[in-house]
Amino acid sequence: MLVAGVDVGSTQTKAVIMSDRHEMLGHGLCPTGAKLDEAGQTAFNLALAETPYSETNVAFVVGTGYGRFRIQFGDAQVTEISCHGRGAVHLFPNTRSVLDIGGQDTKAIKVGTDGQVIDFNMNDKCAAGTGRFLGAASDALEMPLGELGPLAQTAKNPVKMTTTCTVFAESEILGWLAKGRRIEDVVMGVHVAIASRSMSLLRRAGIEPEVTFTGGVTRNSAMVELISEMAGVQVNTSEESHYCGAIGAALYALDQVRTGAFAERGAPA
Amino acid sequence: MKEHRVAIRPPLERAGDTRGESRRLMDRWWTELDAAAEEDSLVANVFVMGSLAEILNTFDIPMSFPEIASLQTAVKGKAMDYLLAAEDAGYSPDICGYVKVDVGLHLTGRQHPLGRYPKPGMVVATNMCNTYIKWSEIWERQYECPVFVLDLPGWRGTGFAYDMGSETFKNDVKFVEGQLRELIALCEEVTGKTFDIDKLREILDNVNRMSELYRAILATNKHRPAPFNALTEGINYMGIANILRGREDGVRFMETALAELDERIDKGVGAVSPEQFRLLLVGTACYTNFRDFVGLFEQWNGVFVASEYMSYAGGGIDRGVHYDLSRPVESLAEQILITAQPSMSGIFFSHEWQANVVRDYAIDGIAYHGVKSCRTTSAGLPDAREWLMRNEDIPGLFIQSDLVDSRLWAEAQLKNRVDAFFEALQSRRVQVGA
Ligand code: SF4
Repeated sequence: MLVAGVDVGSTQTKAVIMSDRHEMLGHGLCPTGAKLDEAGQTAFNLALAETPYSETNVAFVVGTGYGRFRIQFGDAQVTEISCHGRGAVHLFPNTRSVLDIGGQDTKAIKVGTDGQVIDFNMNDKCAAGTGRFLGAASDALEMPLGELGPLAQTAKNPVKMTTTCTVFAESEILGWLAKGRRIEDVVMGVHVAIASRSMSLLRRAGIEPEVTFTGGVTRNSAMVELISEMAGVQVNTSEESHYCGAIGAALYALDQVRTGAFAERGAPA
Repeated sequence: MKEHRVAIRPPLERAGDTRGESRRLMDRWWTELDAAAEEDSLVANVFVMGSLAEILNTFDIPMSFPEIASLQTAVKGKAMDYLLAAEDAGYSPDICGYVKVDVGLHLTGRQHPLGRYPKPGMVVATNMCNTYIKWSEIWERQYECPVFVLDLPGWRGTGFAYDMGSETFKNDVKFVEGQLRELIALCEEVTGKTFDIDKLREILDNVNRMSELYRAILATNKHRPAPFNALTEGINYMGIANILRGREDGVRFMETALAELDERIDKGVGAVSPEQFRLLLVGTACYTNFRDFVGLFEQWNGVFVASEYMSYAGGGIDRGVHYDLSRPVESLAEQILITAQPSMSGIFFSHEWQANVVRDYAIDGIAYHGVKSCRTTSAGLPDAREWLMRNEDIPGLFIQSDLVDSRLWAEAQLKNRVDAFFEALQSRRVQVGA
């Protein structure tokens, strides 16, 4: 029997197909764009394509992320706050604090032993200091997102960014470059600004080890290093961290099927 | 044809009595304001925290509550027009939304969606919110009307158990009483009438009765299921408690409301059905998106059984007012202090009040709604939330928008936080049950 979790985030959509023994059988990733329902379907299809099964074998689909209500083929919705909490504890069972830096918001989540949310703190409505800020830096510097982290790690004397506002990011970055500061120092300044803001949310929720870092920004090595340094503990990340929300959603889907809270819709795999 | 379901409840004889009556009284209030605007007769602008309605009613001075009028423009979907008019005139987006709506109303010819809006002939304010004083100065400049600001001393000790027998308290009472006598003199001057102490006694007696009934209304929600939503229905009770404070029809309204709630309790009818989560709201609602705001919680069958707003914006009436009719002015001064000082220290002590409400009303969680343009009610909310979570193990949700500014309403983000909060409450319940 299979279940799926589909996380339609503000920038990327992620999907996973999971077996009833918690095996991750397929992953799908695509940009969200303007058509949220299509993005959900595309990521789901990509994940399914990594398995030998078809859609009819998927018993239950839980949608999460901002576009969760737009997933036409979804059976239920759970917020990404609950999903990241659950997913993080599944990936690292000793997790008690979760930090997720997403495209438009950052969440610090305190979780119990089963991944249940005890408390959470999020940034304000404005996207200042979220993953979008890195996107703005990559645009301003005309540099692919993936190159920012390694470049930042070569910095010797990072600049102190005065803003985490995504709108003003570009002018401040260009301002530092115009003053002759080295590009790696400016990029590291951007990373420090985001990490500091995220840390204040995490501190407010309470830093209780183990700390698990989730979301797309976990692929940025400089950010992982910075967050670990600021938290005073090595944060957990893995290849799967990017899919943490979708994994949590799939686990909730599995609960539904197991407890029979909802009728299964697919044929057994 | 689309399928519609209705909630099946036992028939209620008194259903709708309170709503109908509150509409009628509000309409009448607007008719009076409209007539005053037409005739250019005397109206006093007053505020919900410390209206001093007792004295103004003694002189039959009609009162306009600009905070309520601003709120009503938001409920009617018109607040943005006035906000923008004020911003065009140079008012910053950070200023209290209520003030800007009011400024916009005055700048655009005083046409409120519910009637013509009179200009103030006098203003009575307190220092309970700093904004009140600055707001009053705007009218003073605009209309050259007299402004009376009651200067209330905050409590000067640490902690909140204060001693009414202390010299400090007695001095505070004298200080306030002296100011009330100044207000009486001002009213005499403005109206040409002589102060009638027996009339004040009658009004004080009505406030005593109203307060008792208001407290009984609040207490009905200790019942499970809670008979009323402290946000949607609570705002009606509070509105009438303000505009008819000290008036006989205000007392009758409270009796009607209490009778309707008692019937709901008898028949086991709750504000939401089935009642799943009992909540306390700290802060105010967002009135531009009032239905949506309530809907975010009702979707999860959550009901606000208590609201801090029903307390501090009710002029202290919830705390129990007991005027001593044998010494009216002094007793008025005393009671103003007793009810105002806790609100003025609200930022420092509200967590204790919240902890008590949580216990008395068997509350599952607290929703804190920070208002971007109001520091008075929003400062300290995250700290209170943390204190209650750490010390009392009470789950708390923190969200932000505004009272009247729809630009600060972000539905998707709010819904996300509210949904996550309920998911956490749900899993907590399963854990506790397990
Ligand atoms: S309490 Fe807040 S909303 Fe009321 S007048 Fe003061 S600043 Fe404005």
